[in-house]
Amino acid sequence: MRATYFFLVLSVFLLALLILVVHSYLRRIRTEKRPYGSWEKLLGRLSAVNRENVVLIALSLVDESGQRRGPENDANLDGAQIWSMIGGIEGLETLERNCAVLVDLVYYVQQRYPEALVIAEQLRLDAREIEWHIGRLKSAAKVGRAEKAFPEHAEQVAAIYYVMTRRVLALYERWNLPGLVELQRAL
Amino acid sequence: MHLTGIDLLFWAAGLVAHVLLLLVLWVRHRAATFRLFTLLIANNVIRTVVLYCVVLMGSKHAYLIAYLSLGSLDLILQLCVVGEMASQVFRPLGNWAPDARVRLAWIVLASVAIGAGLTWLSAIPPGHTLLSTILIRGNFFSAVLMTELFAGMVALSVTIRLPWRTHATRIIQGLGFYSFVCILIEAGHSYLGIDHDIKISADLTYFRMLTYLICVGYWIITLWLDAPAPKALPKEMEQHLLALQRQVEAHLQRLRTMGR
Repeated sequence: MRATYFFLVLSVFLLALLILVVHSYLRRIRTEKRPYGSWEKLLGRLSAVNRENVVLIALSLVDESGQRRGPENDANLDGAQIWSMIGGIEGLETLERNCAVLVDLVYYVQQRYPEALVIAEQLRLDAREIEWHIGRLKSAAKVGRAEKAFPEHAEQVAAIYYVMTRRVLALYERWNLPGLVELQRAL
Repeated sequence: MHLTGIDLLFWAAGLVAHVLLLLVLWVRHRAATFRLFTLLIANNVIRTVVLYCVVLMGSKHAYLIAYLSLGSLDLILQLCVVGEMASQVFRPLGNWAPDARVRLAWIVLASVAIGAGLTWLSAIPPGHTLLSTILIRGNFFSAVLMTELFAGMVALSVTIRLPWRTHATRIIQGLGFYSFVCILIEAGHSYLGIDHDIKISADLTYFRMLTYLICVGYWIITLWLDAPAPKALPKEMEQHLLALQRQVEAHLQRLRTMGR
C-alpha cells in the first residue's frame, strides 16, 4: 500500500517537474521572440480613461499638434474641475500605467521598423516626465498641499499623455500597421 | 567484491571521461570561472580511484563506508556547485538580481521539505542493514533535492528574465538531467535493494553510470566550445547611445561650470 502511494506521489512530482521545466523553456523561447507578449495582450494592458476629459484638459495647454498654446488661448480650467475630470491622483496613476503600455506599443513596432527607435525614446522621456509630475504631486499631498499643486501638474500630465497617444497613433498610421482601428478605439 | 567486465569498462570510462573534462576545464580556462565545479570533477576522479582500490582490497562493509563518506562529500560539493551556478546566473554584474535571493531561499526550503517528504515515503528494502538504508535513502534524497534545485533555477531565471545561454547553463542542464534520471533509479533501488548480485539492481546502476557518462560527454563538448556570443547592438541603438552619452557629458560639463 505504501509502495502504491510512494510511486503515485513520485509520478505526480516528476510530472510537475517536467511540466515546470518544459513550460520554462517554451516561455523562454516565446519571450525571446516577443519580449512584450502578443499585440492583443499588450493592448489589453491599457486601462480605461476618460479620453474626452483628457483631451479637454490637454487642449487647454497644447494644440492638436502638441505645440504649447500662448497665454491668450489658455482655456483656464480651475483646480476642482481638473480634479473631477481626471479622477484625482488615482486617475493620474492610471495615465502613468498606460504610458508604459504606449512605450511598449512603439517598441513592438521598433522590432520590425528600427526607425521607430527615436519615437520610442521620445515616449520614454515623456513617460519619465509624467512620473516626475506625479512624484511631485504625491510629495505635495504628504504635506497637505495636493489641492494647490494638482491643477499645474495634472494639466501637464494630461497634455504629455495626449501628445504621447498622438505620436503612437501617427506612427501606426504612417506605416499603415495592422491593429490601427483597435488602437484608435483604445486610445 | 567481484567485478565483471562491464563493471571494469564503466569504471575505466568514468575515469577517462573525468580526466578529459578536467583537462578541458584547465586548457580552456574554465576552472577559474567554475572553481567549485572543477573541484567536484577532481573529487570524482579521486573517488573513482579510491573506490576501485577499496573494491580490490577491502571488504563489502569497507566499500559501503568509503562509498558513503565520498558520496556525502560529493553531495556537499554538488550543493556548492548549485550555489556557484546561482551566483553566475543571478548575479550577472556582481550584484544579486532584485528578488532573486529571496525567491532562491524559498526554492531551497521547499526543495528540502519535498525531498525529505518523498524520502520518508520511500520504502526500505527488506533485510538491509542500517548502513545500506542510509545509503539508499541518502542517494534518493540528494537526487530529488538536486533536481528540484536545478528545475527551480531554470524557472526562476525565466521569470526574472536573466539569460542562460552560457557555460553555467550547460552545467545546470547536465547536472539537472542526471539528477532527474537518478530519482527514477534510486526509487527503483529503494524497492529492489543495491545488491550488485541482483541483476535488475545492477542494471539500474549501469543505467545511472551510462547517463552520467553522457552528461560528462556533454560537458566536455560544451565547455570546450565558446559560449554563444551575445546579440550585437543594432546600429541605430549604438548611435543613439553614443549621442546620449555625448549629451550627458555636455550636461555634466555645464553643471560643473555652474558649480564653480
